[in-house]
Amino acid sequence: MIELLSAANAGVLTLLILALAALAYVLARHRALRAVDGDVRRLHSLPSYYGYAAAMLTAVPALLVLAVWLIVQPWLVQMQVAQTIPAADGARAVETLPALLSDAGIALGGTLEPAIVEAAQQHARLRALGHAGRSLVVLVLAIAGLVAALRMTDPTFRARNTVESGVRALLILAASLAILTTVGIVLSMLFESINFFRAHPWQDFFFGDSWSPNFRGDSDLSILPLLWGTLYISFIALAVAVPIGLYAAIYLSEYANNRVRSIAKPLLEILAGIPTIVYGLFALLTVGPFLVSVFGRGEDGLLGVDWMNGATSVLTAGLVMGIMLIPFVSSLSDDIINAVPQSLRDGSYGLGATHSETIRQVVLPAALPGIVGAILLAASRAIGETMIVVLGAGAIARISANPFEAMTTITTRIVSQLTGDTDFASPETLVAFALGLTLFVLTLALNVLALYIVRRYREQYE
Amino acid sequence: MTDVPNPAAPIADPRGASSLLTQDARTTRRNRAEGRFRLYGILAIGVGLLMLLVLLVTIISRGTGAFQQTYLTLPVELLEAKLDKKGNRDIEDIKKVSTFGYSPLMNAALEAKVAQAGIETELEPKAMAALLSKDAAATLRDFVLENPELIGTTVEFEFLVNSRVDGYLKGRVTRESIANDKSINAAQLDLVDALVAEGSLAKRFNPEFITGSDASDQRPEAAGMGVAMIGSLFMMLVVLALALPIGVAASIYLEEFAPKNLFTDIIEVNISNLAAVPSIVFGILGLAVFINYMHLPSSAPLVGGLVLTLMTLPTIIISTRASLKSVPPSIRDAALGVGASKMQSVFHHVLPLAAPGILTGTIIGLAQALGETAPLLLIGMVGFIASNPPDGIASGLMDPNSAMPAQIYEWAKRADPAFYERAWGGIIILLVFLVTMNAIAVLLRRRFERRW
Amino acid sequence: MTANAEAPGTEPKISARNVQVYYGDTHAIKDVSVDIEDKTVTAFIGPSGCGKSTFLRCINRMNDTIDVARVEGDIRIDGEDIYDRRVDPVQLRAKVGMVFQKPNPFPKSIYDNVAYGPRIHGLARNKAELDDIVERALRRGAIWDEVKDRLSAPGTGLSGGQQQRLCIARAVATEPEVLLMDEPCSALDPIATAQVEELIDELRQNYSVVIVTHSMQQAARVSQKTAFFHLGHLVEYGETDRIFTAPEDPRTESYITGRIG
Repeated sequence: MIELLSAANAGVLTLLILALAALAYVLARHRALRAVDGDVRRLHSLPSYYGYAAAMLTAVPALLVLAVWLIVQPWLVQMQVAQTIPAADGARAVETLPALLSDAGIALGGTLEPAIVEAAQQHARLRALGHAGRSLVVLVLAIAGLVAALRMTDPTFRARNTVESGVRALLILAASLAILTTVGIVLSMLFESINFFRAHPWQDFFFGDSWSPNFRGDSDLSILPLLWGTLYISFIALAVAVPIGLYAAIYLSEYANNRVRSIAKPLLEILAGIPTIVYGLFALLTVGPFLVSVFGRGEDGLLGVDWMNGATSVLTAGLVMGIMLIPFVSSLSDDIINAVPQSLRDGSYGLGATHSETIRQVVLPAALPGIVGAILLAASRAIGETMIVVLGAGAIARISANPFEAMTTITTRIVSQLTGDTDFASPETLVAFALGLTLFVLTLALNVLALYIVRRYREQYE
Repeated sequence: MTDVPNPAAPIADPRGASSLLTQDARTTRRNRAEGRFRLYGILAIGVGLLMLLVLLVTIISRGTGAFQQTYLTLPVELLEAKLDKKGNRDIEDIKKVSTFGYSPLMNAALEAKVAQAGIETELEPKAMAALLSKDAAATLRDFVLENPELIGTTVEFEFLVNSRVDGYLKGRVTRESIANDKSINAAQLDLVDALVAEGSLAKRFNPEFITGSDASDQRPEAAGMGVAMIGSLFMMLVVLALALPIGVAASIYLEEFAPKNLFTDIIEVNISNLAAVPSIVFGILGLAVFINYMHLPSSAPLVGGLVLTLMTLPTIIISTRASLKSVPPSIRDAALGVGASKMQSVFHHVLPLAAPGILTGTIIGLAQALGETAPLLLIGMVGFIASNPPDGIASGLMDPNSAMPAQIYEWAKRADPAFYERAWGGIIILLVFLVTMNAIAVLLRRRFERRW
Repeated sequence: MTANAEAPGTEPKISARNVQVYYGDTHAIKDVSVDIEDKTVTAFIGPSGCGKSTFLRCINRMNDTIDVARVEGDIRIDGEDIYDRRVDPVQLRAKVGMVFQKPNPFPKSIYDNVAYGPRIHGLARNKAELDDIVERALRRGAIWDEVKDRLSAPGTGLSGGQQQRLCIARAVATEPEVLLMDEPCSALDPIATAQVEELIDELRQNYSVVIVTHSMQQAARVSQKTAFFHLGHLVEYGETDRIFTAPEDPRTESYITGRIG
């Protein structure tokens, strides 16, 4: 029996619960109808509501407990097992335990310490026990819910109200997922970042000047060279995207007639819909080689200079990212320029200002806060962009002002540190979480600031 | 301003007594500035559209090659002595012959072809065989295993040739560019030219690129997108199954029921922030929560789908709320007025009216998720060869697979330029999907657009 | 329907002949001809939607900024056809200032609001001259005393009536010859309205003022000439006193007695 219970995985359990819920629906609906001899008018609610109420009472508590159990059990088991492991290996080794045992519970590989094997076996035992308990509790809860629901079902039971408050709770739950996601993001990165700072001095991370991970255990892992690369590339991207995007938005919203607007605007927005991997490839295989043929190759190059050696560079990534951001800047600015009231434009025309004078001296100053917000959002996009820099920027961490050199960014290093075959517990891997957290905080700050500015701006003209 | 100016006195007007019919110098200057400003706007749009054009031309010109592949047509004698020594056509016995058993048949057929066509070459048989793809023998074996009754006969078979020969026919590899290439030499290219002239070596449409699976480093000519497409499909199913109901539920709550309080404010701020969180951060979340903590299998489309769901939710919530908001309050009042509960008015009236808008937003959110790469890198959907299509829904969700953008990234990372062509070709397939999805969204919007 | 200038011999400041305005397919102004005199306040009255504002916006070609608007006919200022191909609307609007229904100060300082016109038209050679122009304009706008101590404060921070007088000051700062006012008091309270009306009466000394108003009382208070518009037609035009006491057209009579409107 226990074996059967522990074998039931979460998917099977869910299906069982749903089957019970379906049964509950049929039984409760039937019971309600029978209680009034089929005269629906004597029921408080429509018969199907009795069914829904019963199904809800059966499924929801059971599924909730199942979900909580799924999250809590691994944590509890780990806490238990961690105490039995020799201190030198630390808590982290626990995560690797399941991989050490074969399905039959026999240690794979002969060189393991007995204590570890013991711990691994205990881990497996606890997990099986946990699974069995989970199945039992959840199923009992579902059946109890079913019975309780059936007992409640009589003509005066306010089934619709019950269902509706249940649905409302589900709606709230769905809406809260946004908070849960944010909390998940912060916690997942925070814990691993703390682990990282235990293994690596924080002074080096924040204030060191070099990034050179190695396997000897004395890596320099400073964020500054990465931050420099990130900001430099973002700066170039904005230097391309802001003027082009802004002028495009001005032209589209102020000058273009309906036909031009209805063609040019969607065409520009195609640029925003193209996946970043495409831009990455474009940077690596088209823009990079093109830039090399202009700025590199010495005598063979277009300019006869030898400034650029490889296709990947700050300029390559920055230019391509700039192209990607053009529609982002232009459509945000377009909205913002359109929010400037027509009466201001009329006032300016009425004084004999030309169209461009009106735009530069009245519309743009009035729209400035909104445009600043849009630029901040674009900057946050640029800082968090991954694929273009992974393919186009290079892998060398350095602080240099030369845009023709390859540099690397925070996002690139996150990818490379987490996709290698390195030990998950090493600072070289954990640093990715500290980088991720920094990136998150950085972009969050930009976003919050930008959204605040834009909201204030919109309120001003509402 | 010491002396108070007389308000009645006319302000000195440097324009003088001008006629409206003549432009003064200042107006001319201002109009020129106006023209310049306008020009900047046109230039900006021009640059944007030019970039779009360059991008599309690049993709199409570099990518269409991937849909064509060079094949060598050879009559192969399927010798019974080699393939089915016992002669009983027992499929198990035939399976025992590995691909190494097929190579000699293939090579012999090539030699015979060269001899029969009267092509003169000093190439060793081994060097001749090197023209064929490393995948060719396996293809022949699969063919024989499917048609064991053909053993003992001679069949016309189209073999993939290796990527250098293919590149030579497509113009990617030239006689100049092979100077330092150990994989191919000029004599081999002479043979290729002769075979082309003879008519047995030619390019044709390659459906395997669309339906096939990825291939190892050595066999770019055999790599295809099919399995990655299935991976993407399963991820999109997960996203659709989770993001649509959760997103709609969250939007209904926020738009119809939520009281104005701190809790709803926090949710709102969270949603607008999550919409702007870099996608790679969601990848880190997926790695830490779904794989390291919940021990879901890495590289699985299920995990990819979960991560993309979290990433897409804000987009879907924002667009769903906009479509709920566009349903006029009079509809709600009408439902409430005939005695429906608030919940009934929302589910019976508001939601159906908002459905087209919700669907449009969902499709656009899905399209965005379909092209997303960065989070997939972190949950391990790259770096291995997704070689077998999954056999069933559970396997499709749980077994390691790639996804279209991850596959493109994987190819872009490999050194052989033949894979670049594959990457561009993969982009064409990806873009076809995205264009289709967006077109459906636009059509839906046009079809159901309602003016209240 | 033609309304003649009542004082033959004096050249009219603005003279319109057979003006038609179309918004897309809508015929908004139908064959309006009118002569407007210098140093006079002329009021356009009529029920809403009758075309009085549309006609006003023809006089400084503000309708050019609306894509679908099309103007036909002949409007002359000082004998020059303002719809002539050679006329730059920018130059025209410097000569024909406009004040709008809703006060629309730019989100700039009070000083910069008034200095905006003189700056773009290059009316001042230096800062002192500009200061001078701004002060004079604010005095003419009858708002100098209220704002002289806070010229660098934003114009949007003033009260509604002050904002409208600032907008009038802004309009006179470019030294126009004609001042168009599109229901300048409709967004103001009675006290602010009284101040603006008083100001309009003073402005008459220097400018030809054309004011659109939906208030017959206001027209009677401030104007010397009144034109009554109805459904795109100019129904009647003449001395304000006569229009209000002895209208010739039955439609005018119906309107001023409150039977249509």
